[in-house]
Amino acid sequence: MTTEPNESFRPYTLTQTLTGHKRPISAVKFSSNGRLLASSSADKTLRTYCLSNSDPTLSPLQEFQGHEQGVSDLAFSSDSRFLVSASDDKTLRLWDVQTGSLIKTLTGHTNYAFCVKFNPQSNIIVSGSFDETVRVWDVKSAKCLKVLPAHSDPVTSVDFNRDGSLIVSSSYDGLCRIWDAGTGHCMKTLIDDENPPVSFVKFSPNGKYLLVGTLDNTLRLWNYSTGKFLKTYTGHMNSKYCISSTFSVTNGKYIVSGSEDNCLYLWDLQTRKIVQKLEGHTDTVVSVSCHPSENMIASGSLGNDKTVKIWTQTKD
Amino acid sequence: MNAPIIDPLQGDFPEVIEEYLEHGVMKCISFNRRGTLLAAGCSDGNCVIWDFETRGIAKELRDKDCIAAITSVSWSKYGHRILVSSADKSLTLWDVVSGERISRTTLQQTPLQARLHPGSSTPSLCLACPLSSAPMIVDLNTGSTTVLPVLIPDTSNGLVPQSRNKFSDGAPPYTPTAACFNKYGDLVYVGNSKGEILIIDYGTIQVRAMVPVTGGAVVKNIVFSRSGEYLLTNSNDRTIRIYENLLPLKDGLRALDDLDKTANELDGVEKLKAIGSKCLTLFREFQDSITKMHWKAPCFSGDGEWVIGGSASKGEHKIYIWDRAGHLVKILEGPKEALIDLAWHPVHPIVVSVSLTGLVYIWAKDYTENWSAFAPDFKELEENEEYVEREDEFDLVPETEKVKESDVNEDDEVDIVTVEKDSAFSDSDMSQEELCFLPAIPSPDIPEQQDKCIESSSKLVDSNHSGSPLSDDAGPNGRTTNHASSPLEDNSAAEDAVARKRKRKPSEKGLELQAEKETLKDDTFV
Repeated sequence: MTTEPNESFRPYTLTQTLTGHKRPISAVKFSSNGRLLASSSADKTLRTYCLSNSDPTLSPLQEFQGHEQGVSDLAFSSDSRFLVSASDDKTLRLWDVQTGSLIKTLTGHTNYAFCVKFNPQSNIIVSGSFDETVRVWDVKSAKCLKVLPAHSDPVTSVDFNRDGSLIVSSSYDGLCRIWDAGTGHCMKTLIDDENPPVSFVKFSPNGKYLLVGTLDNTLRLWNYSTGKFLKTYTGHMNSKYCISSTFSVTNGKYIVSGSEDNCLYLWDLQTRKIVQKLEGHTDTVVSVSCHPSENMIASGSLGNDKTVKIWTQTKD
Repeated sequence: MNAPIIDPLQGDFPEVIEEYLEHGVMKCISFNRRGTLLAAGCSDGNCVIWDFETRGIAKELRDKDCIAAITSVSWSKYGHRILVSSADKSLTLWDVVSGERISRTTLQQTPLQARLHPGSSTPSLCLACPLSSAPMIVDLNTGSTTVLPVLIPDTSNGLVPQSRNKFSDGAPPYTPTAACFNKYGDLVYVGNSKGEILIIDYGTIQVRAMVPVTGGAVVKNIVFSRSGEYLLTNSNDRTIRIYENLLPLKDGLRALDDLDKTANELDGVEKLKAIGSKCLTLFREFQDSITKMHWKAPCFSGDGEWVIGGSASKGEHKIYIWDRAGHLVKILEGPKEALIDLAWHPVHPIVVSVSLTGLVYIWAKDYTENWSAFAPDFKELEENEEYVEREDEFDLVPETEKVKESDVNEDDEVDIVTVEKDSAFSDSDMSQEELCFLPAIPSPDIPEQQDKCIESSSKLVDSNHSGSPLSDDAGPNGRTTNHASSPLEDNSAAEDAVARKRKRKPSEKGLELQAEKETLKDDTFV
């Protein structure tokens, strides 16, 4: 419990800039073993970078080609062996991380595939699309197991909870819905008095809370069992793009998010105060990801910038 | 299953066939501890492990040496090992993750049932019930067998001699005797042909207690509930009996020793009976007094609240569900194929039954859409309610809308990291990691298939959405047959062995209910 967060908080600084993508970046993700970073872009490719043990710099590894249109999202499997990506070509593609080869193409969505996640057991993939549905796929056979009539507007984000029993989906229609992953039945819908389009949703590490980003420049932490939100985080700009945010738990509890004013924002989870504003990108920061064990944040930015930047905490 | 918003699954039971699994001819099934994997033994000697979440095959355990039908499948406690008993008299122990065979033991008789010791994660002991001799403890490492006594001799000196016949050559034939471990595997409970339950300490090969079953009919099955608190016997007199286990779950032997001391003045059979009366008490009896049917494969639900038994009559596939108080709550009727095995999912209200044709039917609750989950501000009413307006309901600017204060204190601490224990699994002395899932390795597409548009709505047979609420207008449904099957990586199965899941054509009554539902579904929103 930090009463004066600014004292014990060590600021993040920019340590690396990774170039290579030729068009806006849509998503960056660290693998769960912490050794890889992957980025997806509107240039139809995915790239992976590996983090060496010796020094915290990333070196480019592979480029994954195969999508016919820009890629909006990507996700690692829990064992970091596979990547799945969602693209405007309405497909999801499964890639082998080691070899960079395409393993499977998952077809079924009837409009842009926008968001994708593996479940913790990594035998199931969930995806959300502009066709307003959420689909659940079997990894082994690439068959679509379920189609959930999730929303009445494009689905912007999907996530699994800690044990893979729940799926949460968010949409421009202003709703977040929680589904039972096993049966596909809707368990709950989160609404508030006003329903601004929801651009992002994610479960907390313990699966009890939801971090919800809406296009009214607000991030909220909801307790979905009670249906009430507990914390609000503001100060950033988010009214156009689906900017992802995340929890930083490696050194104190923070919320990290990108913003349309080209900065990354860090808030203290409990006090909701902005503890740092990271500047350096030259366009909207659309995606952020925290390293699972190191104090490292990766961020990706849009067209004017097209880079992935790595920020680490200064060592004492 | 930590989520508090998922409906409490205790106290629910399945109602309709949701799906069926097909792969060769399956004979027996067993869930792993958490119900995430279902192992099925086939008639060709293979054991198939299904990923129950995706309803796809996760692994196949094939043995070149074993081509005879599998008679039973048993998981080790944390799911790392599987023991398979087969009609060629062998017991094979497999390592699940690697798919490698660990050991193979051949017995003198075909084991009808084999159970791994439930207390350890890498058990070396198992309990085998052969076709026509007494149950035995088999050490899978050494292959040695220890035959357990099945009858208490009439001698009054209290000694129990070794079973007269180790192998039935020239000796009177035994009817198959049922046996099972208790929850932690320190005692074996045997149900013999005289209608007695014997509690045996297999370490010393001694009968420690005896409980006579009312009516004295041959005991065909004996099964513990998952919690170890209840014991079920299925007897030849067409009755299923539930006993409450009075012994402590762990340390049963010590409790028996204590009871021994208290019954010191008695001798022999009387002593065993006296101790027995302190170990088990009859709780309930279930029978169908009208049809007087024989039961097959009875077992408890995961939480012990329900008891199911299959009808042993050929030509019908009926599953009776009772609550523990003895009331018959449901009879599930399947297609006209005899039932050969039955299992209740450890956690969910799902029942899996194996039919004579080798198909595995999955029974689940018939789901009615919970509309308030979709629109929380909608309240579903059972009957008309009189609505009384607020004072300011029709005001231009109602009082209640002017002030909207958040009643949440945003300064409260929120804990996003601590995880609560899963209460459904109280066995938290987990020194080893439990095996819940087998890694799913996607089978690669054949290059020319990548352009092929896989039609996903091919095989919706007839009109069957029993239990699948979401498939109508959304069109593509996952449960289809994938004709162009890409080569499977680690399963060297031929094309016809690819698991196909299709909806069964429902019975007439089922179609009637479908028709009803269809009319209701027209009003649903998508």
